[in-house]
Amino acid sequence: MGEKGNEPAFMPGTLDMLILKSVSRAPMHGYSIVQHIQQASQEVLRVEEGALYPALHRLEVRGWLKAEWGTSDNNRRAKFYRLTALGRRELENEAEYWQRVAAAVTRVMQTA
Amino acid sequence: MQQLLALWHRLLALSHRRRLERDLDDELAFHLAMREAEYRRAGAPGGEATHAARRRFGNVAYLKEQCRDMWTFHPLETLMQDVRYALRTLRRAPGFTVVAVAALAIGIGANTAIFSLVDAMRARALPYDEPSSLVQLWGNVMRTRLERRGNSYPDFLDWRAQAQSFEAMAAFNNQSSTLTVNGEPERLFGEFVSAPYFSLLGIAPARGRTFTEAEDNPAAPGYVIVLSNGLWKRRFDANPDILGTKTLLNGNAYTVIGVMPPDFKGLTDTAEFWVPFAFNAPPRVMANRGNRGWGALARLKPGASRASAQLELDGIARRLEQQYPDTNEKRGVEVSPLEVELFGGLRPALLTLMAAVAFVLLIACANVANLLIARSETRRREVAVRTAVGASRGRLVRQLITESCVLTALGAAAGLLVAQGAISVLIVQSPVSFPSYVTPGVDLRVAAFTIAVSLACGLLVGLAPGLQAGGVDLNEALKETARGSDGRRSQRVRNALVVAELALAVVLLVGAGLMIRSVRNIASLNPGFDPASIVTLRVSVPRVAAPAAAVPATPTGAAQPVPEPVVSGRTLLERVQSVPGVKAVALGSDLPLDGNASATIFAAEGMPPVTAENAPRSYTHRVSPGFFSTLGIAFVAGRTFDDNELTAASPAVIVSERVVKRFWPDQDPIGRRIKFGTLTGSTPWLSIVGVVRDVKYRGLPDNPTADPDIYLPFIDRNQQFSLAVRASVPPSSLVAPVRAVIRATDPSIPIYDVSTMEALIGGQTSQSRFMMWLMGVFAAVALVLSVIGIYGVMSYLVSQRTREIGIRLALGAAGRDIIALVVGNGARLVAAGVAIGLAAAFALQRLVASLLYGVSAADAASGVAVAVLAGVALVACYVPALRATRVDPLYALRYE
Repeated sequence: MGEKGNEPAFMPGTLDMLILKSVSRAPMHGYSIVQHIQQASQEVLRVEEGALYPALHRLEVRGWLKAEWGTSDNNRRAKFYRLTALGRRELENEAEYWQRVAAAVTRVMQTA
Repeated sequence: MQQLLALWHRLLALSHRRRLERDLDDELAFHLAMREAEYRRAGAPGGEATHAARRRFGNVAYLKEQCRDMWTFHPLETLMQDVRYALRTLRRAPGFTVVAVAALAIGIGANTAIFSLVDAMRARALPYDEPSSLVQLWGNVMRTRLERRGNSYPDFLDWRAQAQSFEAMAAFNNQSSTLTVNGEPERLFGEFVSAPYFSLLGIAPARGRTFTEAEDNPAAPGYVIVLSNGLWKRRFDANPDILGTKTLLNGNAYTVIGVMPPDFKGLTDTAEFWVPFAFNAPPRVMANRGNRGWGALARLKPGASRASAQLELDGIARRLEQQYPDTNEKRGVEVSPLEVELFGGLRPALLTLMAAVAFVLLIACANVANLLIARSETRRREVAVRTAVGASRGRLVRQLITESCVLTALGAAAGLLVAQGAISVLIVQSPVSFPSYVTPGVDLRVAAFTIAVSLACGLLVGLAPGLQAGGVDLNEALKETARGSDGRRSQRVRNALVVAELALAVVLLVGAGLMIRSVRNIASLNPGFDPASIVTLRVSVPRVAAPAAAVPATPTGAAQPVPEPVVSGRTLLERVQSVPGVKAVALGSDLPLDGNASATIFAAEGMPPVTAENAPRSYTHRVSPGFFSTLGIAFVAGRTFDDNELTAASPAVIVSERVVKRFWPDQDPIGRRIKFGTLTGSTPWLSIVGVVRDVKYRGLPDNPTADPDIYLPFIDRNQQFSLAVRASVPPSSLVAPVRAVIRATDPSIPIYDVSTMEALIGGQTSQSRFMMWLMGVFAAVALVLSVIGIYGVMSYLVSQRTREIGIRLALGAAGRDIIALVVGNGARLVAAGVAIGLAAAFALQRLVASLLYGVSAADAASGVAVAVLAGVALVACYVPALRATRVDPLYALRYE
């Protein structure tokens, strides 16, 4: 069960946070999450699609996301992920942690 | 918390695995379709868009696997795979499976049955409130050893007033009494109990109330009675208006004040009614501090331990001893857990049986392990192939152990059925009667036990072949032909298993032999009387003028005016004597082994001063002149009573040999004098007219204490007494006519405790017989299983050595040489098994000493048991040996 081949394209651990953030405003299906991250990051972050689904299922098992079947914009049956209360708390934690780390990294990079 | 939630989600997912799978397919398909549509919008042609979408997505199957993993328990799924594989394998070898499962079912079933019995006989089985804090208090006395005697009422009142360790204390006594409903008398067991008895046990009446303290006052007792549910239904047609009505008990009218709930039959488990303890005996007897023999129940206060209560009562007993030296010298109190009182007697027997069934199970396991090893030999190639395609060694071992666990689980399932059947047979057929509230059955605890046992067996059984499979050399195994060649190591394991089986079987056979011998020893014991063809029964003759409280059977009390009985004993005796088929009839205040004897202190003229420890004590019986000839008790000297001596004032007395041995060992005892009580007491002197042989009057194999028996002439003051009827026809055929003649004499006489002397003797050996037949069954099963075991091993040996045997035959060996070779091999195993088994039996017999009488493992019975085992085992070796001689040398040589 090697992890090779689905290493996220960005810092490990951030994929979960980005997913949680994406669905925090409205429920989304997997495809739109990929699109959302890509657009919101202005094409900088490209989610490796294969890695997305195991992550979604992992978050669902943990109870941070809740999945429901609904209809997509183009009238197809799609599985929508919605943030749970537990997931919202997790998102806040992770966002706060990220802010601190990012700020710290920035500070380090600004010296010298 | 997080972990738990995830676990919960996974567990939920287990139940809808299929939907999960479909959802996953749909979800990924949707994604691919969206991506494809986007590529198409960007201008890619159909086929290319599909490919591009797939390329971008990655390995769909792999990702699905990844997603699935999020939802599954990996070990569990593997386990399910293994189980499915095991079931498939077992189905492919039905013969093996049936034999193995049957052996395990017998072993596990027997264990489950005995365990359920042991488990049903614990404190929690008692149908009372918090039974573990209930204790019984025994008044005891230090004589040559400590003896339990029960309590006297004054002692009990002092304990109750002074002891602080108890929440409450109640005296109780079980007595039979005559209940008369609509003129129809019936003799019933009832309990005479102090007021707090019911609240102590935590049992509330289903109707009405129980006694008050005021009603339990010996000076002015309340004539009130509480009925059992059974009695209320049987004799009063479950009359809902029963409360407040009067009913006749021993000729006195009692007001019914309550009915107990169904199933409650008191501590003695035989009671059908309850009356205040104040009625237990006449006031004079109740007030006598030296008149002991009644029970006391108490509940420890929360926080009070049994040890601290014991300490406190020790102190109280010492104070009473100083205060009342005449009656309380050397008298103590014992605090005993109620559970031990009610179940303790059977515990050694049950634990022995538990060990015996464990042995049976071990033998069954060894057998199955042997079968599995044999199979694993033939499965070496399969194992090698699986190893070659990548199964790890651990995985293989796990697979084999899973297989054996599946096997034992099947065995356990079948075993539960065996147990269910065995338990009901056990309870119904058992010579030992279990309390009515002991209801063994397969409940959760028992099922848990069975599952644990079957898992343990699975590990045990799977270990041997599992370890072996782990050590398979791939190259060798694959190169080899179907037959294994490194049978040598496994043969050693199998031999060891067979030796162990035989040894365990020897232990069980010796154990069964000892039990059988014990029972036969006790049965063939000369009890001092002739029990053959004797019907026994008991009557209670009402008085012409009521009321008459029960008169004690002991003759210690001074004569008091008693109303005349409706029929004299002599009339009754003559009437019964006239029944055809009756050879002789005797009357007695009690009969040997009927449990009605009571003890009295006596003194012999001219004896040296005595202490409480060695004051002569006797069991006293009032008997008709024909008592000794009817029961076949031999006279050593003197004569029986004559008709003129059948009066309360008669000084004639007959004693058992033991009295003479103690006081007049070398002198003529006739005419010597004894008296009841102490030398200085006011009781009259009695003069010995006859001496009879000592009798096992109160128990087999021996009387519980070495006290002698003293016989006084039968008088009509005895309200309850027994008849011993010696028959010249089968005794059971006499019961109806004897009943009829007594009934015809006076219909108000209840007849009860109808039995035969042989049945009374049987009652004394019930526990030994219980052990005997269970041990016998277990030993037989062990014998069969171990013989199958040795047969299997020898057959296998022969098949392994077909080639060698063929060569030997080709080189001119005779058939008997081959037989000698094979049987010799088997004989070595048998000899080893027998030697180890005998050594173990000798070591273990100490543990069952309390269940044995007059035998040891060195007994000839053990020799017989071992000879049987060895004989059968050697026959089991002979059959494959014979087959070996029929080996065709050519075929054998071509075999490879």
